[in-house]
Amino acid sequence: MRNYEIMFIVNPNASEEEIDKINGQIEGIVTAGGGKVEKLEKMGKRRLAYEVDKNREGHYVLFVISANGDIVRECERRLRVIDAVIKYITVRTDEEVRRFEKIRNYRQKRAARRGSGAGASSASAQSAEEAMQ
Amino acid sequence: MKSVKEKRPAGQKQYYRRKKVCKFCVERIDSINYKDVKLLSQFVPERAKIMPRRISGVCSQHQRQLNDAIKKARNIALLPFATE
Repeated sequence: MRNYEIMFIVNPNASEEEIDKINGQIEGIVTAGGGKVEKLEKMGKRRLAYEVDKNREGHYVLFVISANGDIVRECERRLRVIDAVIKYITVRTDEEVRRFEKIRNYRQKRAARRGSGAGASSASAQSAEEAMQ
Repeated sequence: MKSVKEKRPAGQKQYYRRKKVCKFCVERIDSINYKDVKLLSQFVPERAKIMPRRISGVCSQHQRQLNDAIKKARNIALLPFATE
């Protein structure tokens, strides 16, 4: 199982129900294929950076799913077929997330080492002070 | 992080230049996400081109990630390819 983000833009004239219907379809595909919808976010109506099919606005929807390639392929096929969807993108996220964790772990480890080093030096300073007394 | 160049008469070599630092390294941003339009738009000037490293001072690793993020954002119409 891999993690993907599917983001798509629905025609600005589409009603709330239509968007929900599309979301339901995608969710159905994912769960039917044995995947899981981690997050579903309706990002609302936004201005597009450029014109797409004569539209200047669009409803953004974001799916975060854990699924395999077949499910993603099916989702993309479905999104292509639905007329109301004017644009979509799928991004694989698990590799990136793993990399961030690695970096974060490394950073924490380094910080811990530095922290303990500082503690040791202060301890030695303290013992020196005791020796003076 | 723009460098500040001052005009000086010829012969005078020294001029003040602020040291450029990578924004992402300094602020410890390690995930450059394509959805973060506010962050990405700082690196696309008016013509919507990607700001070169020599101007922005971003380090090579982060510039590469930034490139990918901007290109993804362009694909989903969060950022423009070009301004008309």
